[in-house]
Amino acid sequence: MRYSAVLLIPLVWIHIALQDVITGVHGIDLDYVALRWATLGWRVYDVALLAFAFAHGVNGLRNVLHDYVHSPSRQRLVDVVLLFGWASVTAIGAAAIVGGVRMP
Amino acid sequence: MSALKATLEGGLRYRGRQGQIAFILHRISGLGTLLFLAIHILDTATVYFIPRLYEHAIALYRSTPFMLGEIFLVFFVLYHGTNGLRIALFDLLPRLWTEERQRRAFAWVLGISLLLWLPAAYWMGRNLILVNFLGY
Repeated sequence: MRYSAVLLIPLVWIHIALQDVITGVHGIDLDYVALRWATLGWRVYDVALLAFAFAHGVNGLRNVLHDYVHSPSRQRLVDVVLLFGWASVTAIGAAAIVGGVRMP
Repeated sequence: MSALKATLEGGLRYRGRQGQIAFILHRISGLGTLLFLAIHILDTATVYFIPRLYEHAIALYRSTPFMLGEIFLVFFVLYHGTNGLRIALFDLLPRLWTEERQRRAFAWVLGISLLLWLPAAYWMGRNLILVNFLGY
């Protein structure tokens, strides 16, 4: 957790600084995303952000849930559901970053 | 469920002071950020899967309640990271992990989180007022 966490601090905080503070939500639209993803570097950055942040978060959720669910069989169920949820969302996100923006 | 009951009942009675506050804030900020992140990943993925939905999503996020929520989300993310760093650092050097040092370290965590958050909150708040209320 802490290794992904230490990596995440620059990854996430820079992402927030760039998109929330400097650009601002009013500056975000399809063209903005397309422009950013025209550079391979930003796509790589976003894939890393996606992979580490979501895995870190879901593992955290797993820890929290295990604090409340104690029987080994229930814990295994929790783990399977979380794994499925993690894999689905990560796959969808990665597909979108690799696929890129499509104009409507 | 008994663990949940124990948490809710005992949580108010246990006088853990800074340590307890640090812990519960870390959990809440983590879970809150995760919930946001799951939705964020899916809504951003619409640029590829259903592009017209992305424009709807952005329009929603430009509304005042969402922009306000985002300002507070940023605080939670900053706190979670800073407190996490405290945990990782002290875990690396466990002989430093004394009660007195932890209380002071937590004060630093709060201070640093606030220090990093205020400029962001200022710019985001300024943006909110200028665009949503003054029409720039």
